Amino acid sequence: MKTIIAYIRKEEWSPYVAGILLGIVGILAVWLSDSLLGASGAFENLAGMIGKAVAPNLFDNLYFNFVMPPGFNWSLMLFIGTFFGGMLGAFTSGTLLWGKKDAANPDEQWKRIFGPQTWKRWLWGFIGAIILEYGAGIAGGCTSGLAISGGMLLAPAGYIFIAAMFASGIVTAMIIYRKRY
Amino acid sequence: MTNYIIALFLGVFFGFSLNKAGLTKYHKIVNVFRLTDMAVLKFMMTALIVSMSGLYFLRWLGFVTFPAAPATYIAGNLVGGLIFGVGMALAGY
Repeated sequence: MKTIIAYIRKEEWSPYVAGILLGIVGILAVWLSDSLLGASGAFENLAGMIGKAVAPNLFDNLYFNFVMPPGFNWSLMLFIGTFFGGMLGAFTSGTLLWGKKDAANPDEQWKRIFGPQTWKRWLWGFIGAIILEYGAGIAGGCTSGLAISGGMLLAPAGYIFIAAMFASGIVTAMIIYRKRY
Repeated sequence: MTNYIIALFLGVFFGFSLNKAGLTKYHKIVNVFRLTDMAVLKFMMTALIVSMSGLYFLRWLGFVTFPAAPATYIAGNLVGGLIFGVGMALAGY
């Protein structure tokens, strides 16, 4: 028991152990509620909800009416749980940065490569996230919703997505890191 | 309602495993693209293998029926994946 608690308090688990945990979560999602794990879809449901309230004409299109209908659903609930689960993970390892110094830009590697400015980190995070979510919208899922959930049902979509994601990710990293790659 | 509670509960474990694997950190995500730290790939593939073999076994036992798998449309998955990778390497999330 003591070793288990000590392991839970560790900041970084073996990726294999964490992967087994995620695999079990993926099985339970299908078994208990006949749903697939996903992270990016919830943002689109949420965006649809806000958009329909603010600019109903603009959001009255095929995508937001049929592909990603707005509204409260299973994946949005999962998303809320994910947020608190991530916090819980950081809390158990004592690395929760809420309200602490450097909380807005904690990554050492980022600072070494791009400098210490917080606004830069946030700007690139914002731009990157827009590109990422747009790509997920086109592909029909993200790393969890398409690569893992699709892959575990042996859907070809998942594997095409993984290959494409790594190909362009590697090229992008090469470009931004250049000699430091 | 029970379905939402299950979702919340599973979400907590989902986020917890992502955090413990280090996927919430910028350097973990970018370093897999720099091929210097393969933790993200190890994590993803382990999850894939566990859930894949578990689900196919449960289906063989007759406990589960598979939900509709994400649709395959090659151009969309490919282009979407390519755009997604750029965003992932830039944002690091």
